[in-house]
Amino acid sequence: MIRFVLRRLAVSIPLLLGISVISFLILNAVPGGPLSAYENSPGITPADLQRLEHTLGLDQPIQIRYLTWLEHFVTGDWGYSYATQQPVLGMIAERIPNTAYLMGTVFAVTLLIAIPVGMYTALRQYSAGDHLVTGISFAGLSMPTFWLGLLLIIVFGLNLRLLPLGGMSTPGADFDVVDRLRHLVLPVLTLSFVGIAHYSRYLRSSMLETLGQDFVRTARAKGMSERRVVLVHAFKNGALPLVTLAALDLPELFAGALVTEQIFGWPGMGRLFWDAATRADYPVLMGVLAVSASLIVFANIAADVLYAYVDPRIRLA
Amino acid sequence: MNTLSVARRILVGSIALLVISACGGSTTSPTAVTPTRGGTLTVAIWQEPNTLNPLYGTQTVAQVVWEVAVEGLVRADPDGNYIPVLATQTPTLKNGGVKLNGSRLDVTYKLLSGVKWSDGQPFSSADVKFTWETILKDPKVSTREGYDKIDSVDTPDAQTVILHYKEIYAPYASRFQWLLPKHLLEGVADISKSDYVRTPLGTGPFKITEFKSADHITAERNPNYRQKDRPYLDKIIFRSVPSREVAIAQLKAGEVDVMWNLLEAQLSDLEKNPDIKLLVTPGPTVERLEFNLAKPGTPADPAVPHPVLGDAKMREALLLATPKQRLIDKLLAGKAKPGDSPISIGFFSPAIRQEDYDPKKAKSLLDAAGWAVGGDGIRSRNGVRAHLVITTTTGDKVREQVEQVLVDEWKQIGVELEIKNVPSSVLFGSWSQNAPRKKGNFDINMYASSPDPDPHETISGRFSSTQIPTAANNGAGFNYNRYVNADVDRLIAQAGQTADSDARKKLYGAILKDVNDAYTNIWLYNRSGIDGYRANVGGYLGNGWDNLTWNSQDWYVKR
Repeated sequence: MIRFVLRRLAVSIPLLLGISVISFLILNAVPGGPLSAYENSPGITPADLQRLEHTLGLDQPIQIRYLTWLEHFVTGDWGYSYATQQPVLGMIAERIPNTAYLMGTVFAVTLLIAIPVGMYTALRQYSAGDHLVTGISFAGLSMPTFWLGLLLIIVFGLNLRLLPLGGMSTPGADFDVVDRLRHLVLPVLTLSFVGIAHYSRYLRSSMLETLGQDFVRTARAKGMSERRVVLVHAFKNGALPLVTLAALDLPELFAGALVTEQIFGWPGMGRLFWDAATRADYPVLMGVLAVSASLIVFANIAADVLYAYVDPRIRLA
Repeated sequence: MNTLSVARRILVGSIALLVISACGGSTTSPTAVTPTRGGTLTVAIWQEPNTLNPLYGTQTVAQVVWEVAVEGLVRADPDGNYIPVLATQTPTLKNGGVKLNGSRLDVTYKLLSGVKWSDGQPFSSADVKFTWETILKDPKVSTREGYDKIDSVDTPDAQTVILHYKEIYAPYASRFQWLLPKHLLEGVADISKSDYVRTPLGTGPFKITEFKSADHITAERNPNYRQKDRPYLDKIIFRSVPSREVAIAQLKAGEVDVMWNLLEAQLSDLEKNPDIKLLVTPGPTVERLEFNLAKPGTPADPAVPHPVLGDAKMREALLLATPKQRLIDKLLAGKAKPGDSPISIGFFSPAIRQEDYDPKKAKSLLDAAGWAVGGDGIRSRNGVRAHLVITTTTGDKVREQVEQVLVDEWKQIGVELEIKNVPSSVLFGSWSQNAPRKKGNFDINMYASSPDPDPHETISGRFSSTQIPTAANNGAGFNYNRYVNADVDRLIAQAGQTADSDARKKLYGAILKDVNDAYTNIWLYNRSGIDGYRANVGGYLGNGWDNLTWNSQDWYVKR
């Protein structure tokens, strides 16, 4: 097991390096660049532009810039944002708790609802309830989050005036749990709706498959209570794919939800990335990409390990 | 709408020191209620300020925020006149503050006495000198323009600053709009890594006390503010919202009290809302169609005329076939004025009028110039087809609609217009990035730009033949028309060496008349700054040369 993890970690290093090279090249290929904000300003002279280019190191060849970035990055110096002059690590650290707070809630709500819903629809296949849930799930799966988010804002924020339109708290107000929760409702609803649709469909189909298996029939034949058959035998096996799914979704806890954070004005990682992208702030973009790429790679390893743990048939070698 | 390119466009459009499309103008404050002291006001900002250090900043939104806390020697009032802020008067030749010393210029500022920084430390001439030194030393400042023409700064006493310019620098009053506190920053090795970039210390009515990125910025009353009984408000909170649309929704719901920078097309339902007041103020931003007079190339050679646009009659005909007023009424909800020159408001605005819409006259001009209508209705002359490409920034709905109207209108006079838009970062890119505008590889560009209250940089940068970007000057200058006129060059040089404003105004008028007679640009419309306020907010005053927060000390809120 430990050897497996170590080997996978070793393999992930060249992978992450490759990702960073590609990311760096793509970011630099985007027209414009960090200084484009200055280009149309008659108040800024060409001499100013040249000086700023030199100050930011943008006059260096691209390979030198990449190597400089990499050298600093591995030694823990993630550089300074071109736009805000703040340390990249600090900017990310400022946003991660906000994103984790939102996405953690989303994750919990999603699983708490999706699991019972998935089990119910599998056990009552083709019942009226199943059809209803199936219909709602397909709506959830096919609905873009930005559209759902805007819809919820219009209905609950603008028309009914029940909930705030965005942000994480009322700006300037003292910390207040109710206020925090009120700001949480709409973004969580938006993201959970899609998540619940996703997870419950997976659980439904895998439960259906499991319920048809021999060992379930055997369990029933042994005279076990239906409750025990479903919860212990069918669910434990049927939920296996969920483990993978959930583990692979874990990076989102920290990488954030770009579109939803943007719509609800949530000061998280998604918006940090968006703002940095709009101003070609390479150091911040590289920092955020490095964090999310690493999380995805590690989540994959974690999923494999977890799978071996919950499913004794799988042996890691 | 593509928020990304909108955000970019706004960034790109903003001018470093005196700004821009965002705001203000010279209209009156609609409310006449007695101001009340106290209260908190929330202002929606739909872009994220990068830095609140005025010397680094280029974003209008950042200036909206820092302006409640940071001040300078002088500032532009709604009429475009420089009025003193921390100085006792704006130095001029007439009042003796400006002295010509051969080919050099000495500018003397007398400072207000008793002014304190918001931390209680005294403000003095040493702070002005420190600001100048920092601008020349700190590699991250956005511009050194003008400051690098100062030889030395004398501070004979705490209330006197003498700037010794090496040459006659006409826009001297536009410098030192923002001052740094020497006592705080003197020992700081790199200001960009200090707290100052998020919580700048100033002499203004408020002090920035909290900066939570992408969430909110708090400004609290400055207890050391010099004006008695001001500011009225206890607190201003700048709330970060993701887009204009969300800001509008929050303004309607009363979650915010003020919203910065609305678009014309967004006004129709807000206008009917009794809880909301809109402040529309003419600003200096002019939307234009920029003709390339040279044959497109990378780079274009200004000596080789454009096959179609090289003909002044063609350019005149295109002007006559452009229905400015109809575009404004239909696409901008009537909230703009037809443009006539690049200097649309202020003391230096010339008395020039571009010809009105007259497609009939356009046709006869083209007939007379030998542009014959072909079988498909498109004209040609000597085998050159009247085919032109128009380029603007992608994702801008109004601009895209304007293009479509133009395609239709110009077709009727026999000119074929093709739309080929690019992201704003491409259109406004640099020489080294081979940007079409810089290199001259375009027919017609459509975009907006705005001059400072002092128009010298705009006029010289746009119309002097020395300002055509070339390989030799490393792409410097903004003469994208590739307009060459020796008379204009001479007049521009003369204006730059003239310190008397009335004489300069005459010179600029003559220059802009020559430019207008050459039909180098169609000045489509003059943009207005539009800000939204809840009806219980008062004291605000539009200023087209500045931002909505320029007089935040006078703002109040009635609860």
